[in-house]
Amino acid sequence: MSVLLKTRRLDDIVILDLSGRITIGEGTLTVREALQELLRAGDRKFLVNLAGVDYIDSSGLGELVTLFTTIRHQADGQVKLLNLTKRIRDLLQITKLLTVFEAFDNETEALKSMRH
Amino acid sequence: MALKAPRSFELTVPSRLEALEEVQRLVTEATREYQLSEDFSYWMELTICESMINAIRHGNQCDPSKNARLKISLNGSQIEIIVEDQGHGFNLNELADPTETKNLLKPSGRGILIIRSFMDEVDLTECEGGGSRLRMIKRIPGNSK
Repeated sequence: MSVLLKTRRLDDIVILDLSGRITIGEGTLTVREALQELLRAGDRKFLVNLAGVDYIDSSGLGELVTLFTTIRHQADGQVKLLNLTKRIRDLLQITKLLTVFEAFDNETEALKSMRH
Repeated sequence: MALKAPRSFELTVPSRLEALEEVQRLVTEATREYQLSEDFSYWMELTICESMINAIRHGNQCDPSKNARLKISLNGSQIEIIVEDQGHGFNLNELADPTETKNLLKPSGRGILIIRSFMDEVDLTECEGGGSRLRMIKRIPGNSK
């Protein structure tokens, strides 16, 4: 199974519920196209829920980094991660991307932090 | 009576990213045959796929007339993985460290780091007649079967 992406909204925050495999090729392309569409529509605050992601490769991590670098200089731009599995947390630790992304285990807490 | 030698798994694919599905299937077959744990199998698949992506993209420049080869074999309590391409090679020690602050926000360059974090040994040599051979060794801890 490739990646599945669903979006929810809470005020100006887009919650991206990702599931499946985010891998080079189809998986990363699906995520990239969806994010580009949201960015074109003016969305700037993203909470990426990775609870259902059972596999992500270095290209998938690259897509998250690209989202981060695209909006970090924009006013109110935010990208935060939610519900990291142990494997994804380990990968982010290995690559030191945990120093880049703020990650939460609780959606309410994550949303609260993004409203400030 | 001689013991049956563990099976080896081999695959040669043209340098297209679509070939990664075949790689995944082969890794799944091998990890099942070697009765590895789910977690160990996950890291095997991730690191082998990363090394095949390197061979296809960076080694062979996605030229489908060039092949990438994979061999997985079990020797005692360690797994040997060999990935070969037909490219011009590179020096593992000259790769930029993706965890350095100046590289942290680059979209790519993390594959070898992920491979090195899981594998016990990683070395790169030139193949006879051109191309590169990445040889990886992973020792199987007692609780990974």
